[in-house]
Amino acid sequence: MWTLPILIVGVTILLSIPLGLYMAGVLDGRRRAPGLLRSVEDRIDTGPQDWKQYAGSMLLWNVITFVIAFLVMQFQAYLPLNPDNKGTLSPTTVFNTLCSFLSNTNLQHYSGEVHLSYFSQLVVICWKQFHTPAIGLACLVAVIRGLRGDTHMGNFYVDLWRSTVYVLLPVSTIVAVLLIVGGMPMTLEGNAKIATVEAGAMGTDESGAAKPQEIARGPVAAIVAIKQLGTNGGGFFGPNSTHPYENPNSWTNFLECVCIILIPMACVVMFGRMLSNMRHAAIVFGVMLIFLSTFIAWGVYFDSMHPNPALTAHSATSYDVPDASAPDGKRVVALPELAGLPVDQELGNLEGKELRFGTSAGPTWAAMTTCTSNGSVNAMHDSLNPLAGLTPLSGMWLNCNFGGVGVGLINMLIYLIVAVFLAGLMVGRTPEYLGKKVEGREMKLAMLALLIHPLMVLGPTGLFTALEWGAKSTNNPGPHGFSEILYEFTSASANNGSGFEGLADGYGFADNPSAPPYGAHWDIACGLVMLLSRFVPIIAPLAFAGSLAAKKRTPFTVGTLRTDTLTFGFILLGTIVLVGALLVLPAAVLGPIAEHLGPLPFGG
Amino acid sequence: MNHLRSNLWLLGLTLLLCCVVYPGFLLAVGKVALSDKSEGSLIRDAGGTPIGSRLIAQPFTGDQYFQPRPSAVGYNAVATGGTNWGSANPMLRDRVARQLGPIVKYGAGPRKGQLVGPDIEKWFQEDRYGGKSGIVAQWAEMHSGFAANWAKADPLNGAYIATWQEAHPDAVAEWKKANPEAGDPKPEDLAGSFFTGFSKENPGKFPSAVERPSADGKTEKVIEPVAEGTDIQGIFFDMWRLEHVDANLLPVPADMVMASGSGMDPHITLKNAEYQLDRIAAKWAETTKRENAQVRGEVEAMLKAGSESPLGGIVGVPLVNVLEINLALREKYGEK
Repeated sequence: MWTLPILIVGVTILLSIPLGLYMAGVLDGRRRAPGLLRSVEDRIDTGPQDWKQYAGSMLLWNVITFVIAFLVMQFQAYLPLNPDNKGTLSPTTVFNTLCSFLSNTNLQHYSGEVHLSYFSQLVVICWKQFHTPAIGLACLVAVIRGLRGDTHMGNFYVDLWRSTVYVLLPVSTIVAVLLIVGGMPMTLEGNAKIATVEAGAMGTDESGAAKPQEIARGPVAAIVAIKQLGTNGGGFFGPNSTHPYENPNSWTNFLECVCIILIPMACVVMFGRMLSNMRHAAIVFGVMLIFLSTFIAWGVYFDSMHPNPALTAHSATSYDVPDASAPDGKRVVALPELAGLPVDQELGNLEGKELRFGTSAGPTWAAMTTCTSNGSVNAMHDSLNPLAGLTPLSGMWLNCNFGGVGVGLINMLIYLIVAVFLAGLMVGRTPEYLGKKVEGREMKLAMLALLIHPLMVLGPTGLFTALEWGAKSTNNPGPHGFSEILYEFTSASANNGSGFEGLADGYGFADNPSAPPYGAHWDIACGLVMLLSRFVPIIAPLAFAGSLAAKKRTPFTVGTLRTDTLTFGFILLGTIVLVGALLVLPAAVLGPIAEHLGPLPFGG
Repeated sequence: MNHLRSNLWLLGLTLLLCCVVYPGFLLAVGKVALSDKSEGSLIRDAGGTPIGSRLIAQPFTGDQYFQPRPSAVGYNAVATGGTNWGSANPMLRDRVARQLGPIVKYGAGPRKGQLVGPDIEKWFQEDRYGGKSGIVAQWAEMHSGFAANWAKADPLNGAYIATWQEAHPDAVAEWKKANPEAGDPKPEDLAGSFFTGFSKENPGKFPSAVERPSADGKTEKVIEPVAEGTDIQGIFFDMWRLEHVDANLLPVPADMVMASGSGMDPHITLKNAEYQLDRIAAKWAETTKRENAQVRGEVEAMLKAGSESPLGGIVGVPLVNVLEINLALREKYGEK
């Protein structure tokens, strides 16, 4: 049960150390690329930038790529590489998808094999999946330069180029080749048409002839490799890495799992190397690892070691429901007893799980994909046991435990500052971080970056829950329906992209006859949330780092709060738990915890 | 101007590298070195026609074949997915109970190995639940959602209610009175009163589809009150179970009744395969006119030899690839 998560985390830690050191070398410019690549760097270098210029270049690049990708996706029906004749998507779904892939969220209101041509997959999806994590890495490197006290923050274009071409491309190529060896398709052929072994097993057409089983395929390996490595998560197929073509066996599952956290872990190593402060990085790494391990253990315990409670016995219960029209203001709802169904659930909850990955693979992946902002899945999160559903939700609520490529560590930095600030208040000294005083302006920026996330989660969740927009879109009754809404905005705001996918949340093709009634509302709301929650927590820390960089370094004395000790590790841990719990606990109680307490099943 | 130049260079080069060179290289690797896998691990028959992918579940219904896990999308491999039903969703429990009714067997005791289905039918025909008569009426009252779903599940069901509706204008009038602005009721709106009435008029029966010879010599499906069949065994299994909590039933391996995430899971657990083994062995023994025990032994050996565990056995349980084992069965016992 525990072998799989321990192996995955252990192997990834080992790989992340050399990768992190390599990244520090090439991204910081200490190791220069050979001739031709170096001349490209010279051509795109616009010179040293301060934080405003850096953020400006970053926004400019985002606007340009948004427009190009929008045009390609909107007009995919008229572009090449479309063997299965995919039609035109609704503009709201294109808008959502582009916000999603621009913000490294990769929330999918479409279903890959249904809605996208190979051209859209390769040009929009694949391209975005490369350069959005590269933007995260670039901004992280810039922030670290600021913290280090460099006179400028580097050049955005050069950082973007280095992240894409020296880090993401080579690692993805290796992973993709391994995935093809593991059995993943990589072809431009259209759907395969299969004559089923039992003739007519897929039904018959009007003339009585047996229907074939059509199997969607495509250039899967190229997209899955970078999807996993870049904390992207936008799968080739609708059900993501549960699909056998997107995750053919237990070995590819292992590799894909390692890829989810590899670069986020390496970022912390790079952070330590660039600051020449490995002890501080180790403390941060340790705190992140504690959260990751806890979430994995929680998920595995409640999902793989407990049966699905839908099938177990429940005694008769009754609830008092407030009801203004009833004589004494309440109505009694009595629920009959339920017998246990004769199902052998020794492997835990198997609804929405694939068998070939190993028993605890689903919740293990669920924790990793949400601690980082990946958002790919190898099991349906919507069907996790009620308490196990807290694992992915909590990972995204905190969103800093390894987190997205680059941006995860930037988020953690905000918590670091808050921890330093709290510790400073407790001992009555002006808080310092890395030898620089943290003052009012920095705290305001940190708070802005910290609070945008809960605001973007709870605000829209409240709005959609109160209106029919949410209530008419859920696939499950009661608290689980609320969890679906909560999960969607949590995922959008955490730039994660996984989902309680039962939610009817996207419009689909422009001429979709059975479009969900509020598909367009979801498309637009989630799109806006993703954009705000992407750029505010990147730009505020850039400003913050720029502001620290300009300050004089204060001398290190016995009274200085050290950030490389176990004590500081505990303060950081406590801060994250406290702030995280204060922000989202009420919502958690209304969703997964209420669901766990019953009634199960709810109605019917 | 500098920025424009940088952006253009970056656009051109990243598009070239990420969208042309990178996938192009991988396509070449796939084509040259791994063409079978890169095209989807298709299995072809002697004539070269693809008859399946070893990675993709294919539906099997015949008794002679192992059956894959249930699929939320009907094994449609161009629109894959799971149910996305949480534990609190009553549809999940109902779906599992319906699957269980026709397949569950007694465990220990004198009736070990016998199906419970016939006993459910016998209990159903007596038409008493919780000390009151009218099982179907009580079911529809407790599970108004399932009753309404029945009305929508098949056009024949809806038509059957519509016919009933014409003979019972009072029920329509009552519904219209309760819902003055809704217009005429749809079949699912009247499902509750339909089943209540049906239960009174047809005690111990449930409306199910039966095949009949039609006027033009073919068979056609019609809905009729029936007293036995998989509908009754499935829909009323949960109620039967509550009144027979002491019956010792053999637990069914969970993967037999729980749908996979993709709807395409090509595997079942070895335990699940062994649970299905009796049915399969009996059928092949019948078609090949051989000793049942001998065929059973052979198939069991094939299962054991063909099973594999994740990561070489260090995580998870032994699994059987359904398509591969079924092709092996056809090869061994089928018509040559």
